[in-house]
Amino acid sequence: MTPNGAAIFVAVMLAGALVASEPIGFSLLYAVIAAFALVEVGLRTFAALARSALVVLPLAVFMALVWVGFVGRSPAEIAAGVPGTRVASATYVVVVCLRLFLIVLATQLVTLRFERLTPLQFICALRIPTTAKRLLALTLSLSETLRHAVERARTALIAAGVITRRPSLRNIINGWMLVQTVWLSAITIAVGRMRDKWPIEGTLSRLDDLFQRAQPQSLGSGDAIWLLLGAGAAAFGIGIGIA
Amino acid sequence: MFTTPRLVLIALCAALNVAVGSIVYLLKLPIYLDSIGIILCALLLASDRWAGFVCASIAGTISCVIIFLLVNPFFIWFEMTVLAIALISVLLTARFTGLFQARPLPHGKFVTIVLLCGVVTGVVSAIVSAPVVAYLFGGVTGSGSAFVVAFFLKTGQKLLDAAVLSGLTADPIDKILQVLFAALLYRATPADFIAMLATPPTASAARAA
Repeated sequence: MTPNGAAIFVAVMLAGALVASEPIGFSLLYAVIAAFALVEVGLRTFAALARSALVVLPLAVFMALVWVGFVGRSPAEIAAGVPGTRVASATYVVVVCLRLFLIVLATQLVTLRFERLTPLQFICALRIPTTAKRLLALTLSLSETLRHAVERARTALIAAGVITRRPSLRNIINGWMLVQTVWLSAITIAVGRMRDKWPIEGTLSRLDDLFQRAQPQSLGSGDAIWLLLGAGAAAFGIGIGIA
Repeated sequence: MFTTPRLVLIALCAALNVAVGSIVYLLKLPIYLDSIGIILCALLLASDRWAGFVCASIAGTISCVIIFLLVNPFFIWFEMTVLAIALISVLLTARFTGLFQARPLPHGKFVTIVLLCGVVTGVVSAIVSAPVVAYLFGGVTGSGSAFVVAFFLKTGQKLLDAAVLSGLTADPIDKILQVLFAALLYRATPADFIAMLATPPTASAARAA
């Protein structure tokens, strides 16, 4: 599978999860994902399952609390104006969670499938305009910069006694200063790079050279198989919904 | 349109959205604070509205994808809301950049404009988000505003009505805060960075100069 095929595969799964509305409608989508995991990812699937559960489980608990505990009726029952049951609302929560879990799992599996590639190699392999590649590379680089800016600003504000290390009222009152300090710090770093560092090191021209030399792979037969299977499963989900 | 400073701005605004939006989402507060970067991007590119809209939309879309991948699987379906906020920010909020930068700050006028822009942005985003919240997720997404939807459902409201009412209750407050934060960050942004974002002179203009 190529990175381009993987990106389209995730989009197809996303669309499939969007249109499927019954648990049975999800069954084929889950079957395709299971096959994908088995063939393309192997044993690392367990890591993807664990990460997906970590994202979806808190949401499931939250939605169960709101729908089953508080509202006590499913959306369909509310729309029909009939007194509802907690079983129906619990079923509704399960459907939403199945939808979310499918999307998160597909994304995690694709991430693990290409974990050997660096983010820059993955970007190079995508068939998108050079400006978009440049933007993605800069975003990755600057998000790391911003992470360091957050650490530095936080340490400085703690040292100055403006915020505290542990949760406190002072953090709520002065938390805004952290955001402002991080923003200013990030802007200063970015301006310094654009004016001095990048022109001296030729960073952007080297990046552009790299993107121009990279040969994005065309979709292969492996991509076609997964895309057809995904599209078929999504169509099944639509059919079940209509029926 | 996509000069290096503008690409850097898009990346920074997307990162700002992700950083603040993720924290608020994880705290399950009935607000979002995930669009400060979109509004700020529109403010910083106020001199070129089309570029402002495009860059703010791209910053919002990137943050939408990152939040979806890392924190909130609901988020990707609110892309239309991102575009609506970018449009309103460019058409309305970015008109007041002069006021946001004024020294000394005219407090009364500043508060009035922030309230006006926040309420308009909030109402528009509530209306655009409501069908997604109601029809796709039956009213409950993972954010703290789900409690507000649930409250309106309990009072006997229909699903779409509850989603709209919840949006109209929470969104204006949320967007007032976001416009306020964006205006304050804009005010604090160094003038030389804003100058770097201005449209580069064309070759003919440079020759004429």
